[in-house]
Amino acid sequence: MESIIIAQMAVSGAFMGLVYALIAYGFQLTYATSKSINFGQGELVMFSAFFSLTLINVGLPYWLVVPGGLLFGAVLGLFVERAGVRLALEQKSEGWILLTIIIGLFGFSAAENIWGRDDRPFPTPISSDSFQVFGVSITPLEISVAIGVLAVMGLIELFKRKTLLGKAFEAVSADRDAAELMGVSATRTIMLSYGLSGMVAAMAGILVSPITTVGPTMASALILKAFAVAVVAGLDSGFGVVLIGLFLGALESLASFYIGSGWREAPGLILLILALAVRPNGVFGKASIRKV
Amino acid sequence: MWKRLLFIRGTELVALALLASIPLAVDNSYVLGLLTLLAIYGILLIGLDVTVGYLGQVNLAQAAFLGLGAYAAGLSVSLLGFGIFGALAVSLLVGLVLGGLLAFPALRLEGPQFALATLSFSALSVTVLNEWESLTGGAQGLHVTRPDLFGLHLKAQGFYWLCLILLALVWMAMRNLLSSQWGRAFEALRDSPIATDAMGVGTFRHKVAGFALGSGLGGLAGGLYAFNFEYLQPQTYVYDLMVILLLGVVLGGRKSLWGAFVGASLIALLPNLLSNWLMFEVISAIGLLVALAAGVRGLMKKTTKPFQAIAPVIAMGLLVGGGFLVENTENWRKAIFALMLFAVVVGLPEGLMGFASRFLAQLFRIDPPALPAPAELNTVLAAKAANGEALLELRDLKRYFGGVKAVDGVSMTVRAGQVHGLIGPNGSGKSTAVNVISGLYAPTAGEVLLHGRALPQGSLFKVARVGVSRTFQNLQLFGELTALDNVMVALKGVYRSPLPLVLLGFARGEEKRAQAESLALLELVDLKDQARTRAKDLTYGAQRFLEIARALARKPDLLILDEPAAGLAHPDVNNLVEIIKRIRQCGITIVLIEHHMDVVSELCDAVTVLDGGRVIAEGTPDEVKRDPKVIEAYLGVVSEAEAPGAIPSPA
Amino acid sequence: MKKTLIATLLLGLFAAPSFAADAIKIAITGPFSGGSAPMGTSMRDGAKLAISEINAAGGISVGGKKMKIEVVERDDEGKNERGALIGQELASMGDLSGVIGTVNTGVVLAGDKHLQEKGITKIITPAAGSASMTQWSKAGVKDLSIFRFSANDGIQSAMVIEEAIDRKFTKVAILHDATNYGVSGRDDLLEQIKKQGNKLQVVATEKYNIGDKDMTAQLLRAKAGGAQAILLWGIGPEMAALANGMAKMGMKEPLIGGWTLSMSNFIDNAGKSGDGALMPQTFIEEPITPKAKSFIDGYHKAYGVSRMASPMSAAQGYDAVYIFAAAVKQAQSDDTHKIKEALEDLKEPVKGVIATWVHPFTKWDPANEQTHEAFRREQVVMGMVKDGRVVFANEAEKQRLIKSATEVKKGK
Repeated sequence: MESIIIAQMAVSGAFMGLVYALIAYGFQLTYATSKSINFGQGELVMFSAFFSLTLINVGLPYWLVVPGGLLFGAVLGLFVERAGVRLALEQKSEGWILLTIIIGLFGFSAAENIWGRDDRPFPTPISSDSFQVFGVSITPLEISVAIGVLAVMGLIELFKRKTLLGKAFEAVSADRDAAELMGVSATRTIMLSYGLSGMVAAMAGILVSPITTVGPTMASALILKAFAVAVVAGLDSGFGVVLIGLFLGALESLASFYIGSGWREAPGLILLILALAVRPNGVFGKASIRKV
Repeated sequence: MWKRLLFIRGTELVALALLASIPLAVDNSYVLGLLTLLAIYGILLIGLDVTVGYLGQVNLAQAAFLGLGAYAAGLSVSLLGFGIFGALAVSLLVGLVLGGLLAFPALRLEGPQFALATLSFSALSVTVLNEWESLTGGAQGLHVTRPDLFGLHLKAQGFYWLCLILLALVWMAMRNLLSSQWGRAFEALRDSPIATDAMGVGTFRHKVAGFALGSGLGGLAGGLYAFNFEYLQPQTYVYDLMVILLLGVVLGGRKSLWGAFVGASLIALLPNLLSNWLMFEVISAIGLLVALAAGVRGLMKKTTKPFQAIAPVIAMGLLVGGGFLVENTENWRKAIFALMLFAVVVGLPEGLMGFASRFLAQLFRIDPPALPAPAELNTVLAAKAANGEALLELRDLKRYFGGVKAVDGVSMTVRAGQVHGLIGPNGSGKSTAVNVISGLYAPTAGEVLLHGRALPQGSLFKVARVGVSRTFQNLQLFGELTALDNVMVALKGVYRSPLPLVLLGFARGEEKRAQAESLALLELVDLKDQARTRAKDLTYGAQRFLEIARALARKPDLLILDEPAAGLAHPDVNNLVEIIKRIRQCGITIVLIEHHMDVVSELCDAVTVLDGGRVIAEGTPDEVKRDPKVIEAYLGVVSEAEAPGAIPSPA
Repeated sequence: MKKTLIATLLLGLFAAPSFAADAIKIAITGPFSGGSAPMGTSMRDGAKLAISEINAAGGISVGGKKMKIEVVERDDEGKNERGALIGQELASMGDLSGVIGTVNTGVVLAGDKHLQEKGITKIITPAAGSASMTQWSKAGVKDLSIFRFSANDGIQSAMVIEEAIDRKFTKVAILHDATNYGVSGRDDLLEQIKKQGNKLQVVATEKYNIGDKDMTAQLLRAKAGGAQAILLWGIGPEMAALANGMAKMGMKEPLIGGWTLSMSNFIDNAGKSGDGALMPQTFIEEPITPKAKSFIDGYHKAYGVSRMASPMSAAQGYDAVYIFAAAVKQAQSDDTHKIKEALEDLKEPVKGVIATWVHPFTKWDPANEQTHEAFRREQVVMGMVKDGRVVFANEAEKQRLIKSATEVKKGK
């Protein structure tokens, strides 16, 4: 019994961990190009999820809802970049931290008033009836999360490696100034990264909503852990986030079982602080040299 | 002078007297409650301003320190039977200690990483308060009784006065601290941590101290909070409150006590202002007009970008228009707050008080306080023995980056009182060598000796403390500080008062002396007249000279100038040569990295030439100029036809 | 004179404009936003429905003059700090006749002391944990102006345990949220198990946080212990997550819990998984009596809904206003102290939608909190979630209510 419980906890935690990894991946995209991240990303996840729910309620079929939601997420990402990030980057200030928090706050309040303060169910064609694998119950819904997360990340990586636009992305990430000299517009590439990041966040929202329901506060817990995953793995670690996501998901699930569910958040937070103290560039990140 | 003092101190006193007398005029517990909250938030935000304004870091932990301080005060009353001052001291201490501890891991972090570290700390604190049920009562909350003050039971009014007195004390102490070397060091840290270290001002000590101090005030505010509400629950101190506090500081204006106070009033009163629709419309209409006026003015003067002018107008317009569409403005409280903040952060980055204080200073023609006369230069830079002994020695110094051998076995000797040139083509290892000497990089192998003793390795700070000072190829000035403050930050041997005396305001004497000495150094580089200009507003040439004056403030034995002429226009290059000559007269030894051969020829007593990380030539300027290896290094091929001494001097 | 002038000026800055002089001013407070909003807003809307009915009939006649009721609304957001400020604000209004509202225990604890200090009459409804009244009995307050109009946690937990015993369960798990409400609910349940003869063995006691979505850990513990029923104490969204988690793990044990299981955010989010959940209710949204029918229809029409977010909050808000109005009428005054005295000794029965209230409160006795509590066991019934609505769990109780309503009618 005990070993099955451990396995069950680890497995269901790991599935959630993949969602953290996906959001963390969204942080990486923008960090790579601009050394900035959207502190209101949680609200972006939530807002896109609500928008997708509205599409469902309007009667759109599910295969149209997903691209619709993703597109909306991308637009929101672009908006965040324009309104909150670009000016601060031009001024080389860290004003974007505050501005993205502020935009998030606005999004939160708007969602509360547009869609109400209550959590709502998110219908999905995928079944949530569980089946047993070695005594561990797994639902098709959880499998769909795993597939969705890996598919989105895989596609974006493919895009970055195989297309011209994607290569521009890599160039700006590697050396912004050199890329600009070669005629790659850093501003456009940063926009692209925010658009993609918004899309990734929307995907996370759509994937997680059938499990957690949709509500204004749905992402506040998610986002803390996505931060933790991103930082522990390293903000430029690529697929490192998947490993750390799985690990953290399983760890917090086990912690909530063995220590008490109130401590669920603790392992992620402690890991985050430790990682920042010991390895600010993350487990998989590259160390940087101070230049003057 | 007197007008300024009268005006500033007078306003503070009048405001304090007004606040203190309201309860005498009005018997209204609600007004009293709001005022008490205002005083508590005032202390909290002054503390937060240390990290957000002075250290320039987005700090999301202040709400947690409020909570930790509140619980500490409550528990020290109920478990330990402390009196009100004992309990408040405990909450202050808890903030100081935990803030100091958090500063350690957060120490190396900047920007987003720092914000994340503080965010996790907050979430963790709430978890602990919630879960440690046996101590805190967990989610059930903790009832706190307000202890008596010297046997006197404090009613709401008395407690308000206590809060107000504490606010005034905190205000005075922080004013003294922030206008001293401490405040300057905090700001220096924000603008350039590397230069702060290189100027011998410990980033470590100041970051920990600044963060601990801000958190301590958060804890103190928490103690008052506990005795005000007399009932605590962990959920009170979550993300929501954090964001609102942060926004209070920004809205009110960073780096300003008044700004913190205005921010505190806004967050205490805003919920009430919003519940009245008419009041809301009036406020947002005024906001729209200000945004319009500021935007148009900025665009006409070309001081702002179009986005900076238009975005606030859109935000405030949304506010005015939205008021007519929305049934209940109170439901949209956070969105309204967000819009106002957005407008302020984008259009008015200095915050309301930053804007207002500039305006008021103009309106009342208040001059800044007068400066003392400059000190005699020879008292500032005491003459050193220019006896030609070996001052700095490099022995087989190596520094590799992975496979790249940036410096590969360099040995050289710099003699006291000389100007020693270090030249070489791009990528020859000059800058790396200097960075190793000054402690930015630790050497891979080899030794660096000063006065025959080994220099500390890999620490800018430690190297700076033993008498080596430097400038930077890419300017590392403290942009927000004035030219005078830039020099004063680095000034050695003046600041001796311990922290308690500084807080009590007994450091003014040394402040005057520091000003006088720093002015002498500014005079040396011909910047005395621009002492009050912010470094980032100086011309490029003036910025270069300011870095030299700042480096001199360390009163160094060895001054390293890293390409001081780079990017200078011709007249400025001549001035530079004059300045360096003056410095040499003071007996200070100089290592000069330079591309301009004419500058090198005119100034240097000896020159070392590097290429590919190795020394290829040494000698007087004339000797090295004729060395074929040097010519080859610069031109690639040695041509018989070419005249010796044809080393190009890039503009 | 000067003082009042300054006071008015300051108040103009701080507070909403004042009201007409010949009206009875009632404040309605509660969480109109945040997690407890369904309860707060339903209560507010129920109360305002009653007020509009009273005003439409001309108002309450006081001293030969018809006085209308005017409402001051304050959203406490479920936050203690707001609760304290609102308490201070209301206490300083001077012309306030009374306060109705609040849901969160913390808000009550932070705010009510300011009202009590000025002796302002408050009826706590639709909820708030036991501590909201025990704080006064513990302090030994002699004269109390705070009344509670909600089925207290003691009654509710007793019913939950009764139900579990009636259904012949022997092993139960208690799951609760980490708020004040959840934790004191857990303590009440444990105490009731002892009181009712220790017939239930508690195999797991598990806590979760507000906002938690994944309850696997807690449920696994319950399952491992062999629990036959899950006793719940929390609010809607998380309990829905629990119900969904159980469905996912194939657990079919019944849920029995506090009245919050009737909240729309539980019923909607749990969907099928929530069917069969049992909870004590003061009001079921079924038109079993003419009075109930007119209330339900009136509510649906006034607010354009087909279902109340929290029917019992709405009904309690509605009845609380009628009880308050009866006290005003009896006191023949809008003075809050006189209203309080009248409330402690209501001569006329008040016909409400939940019950006909006969002498609901009596003079406060610090040794007996029941003196300021209106609800008794007989006003509370067991409800059950069925197809997205709350229905009577036991047909017998439904019949009892219909019968008692007709009896009162005959008696008149």
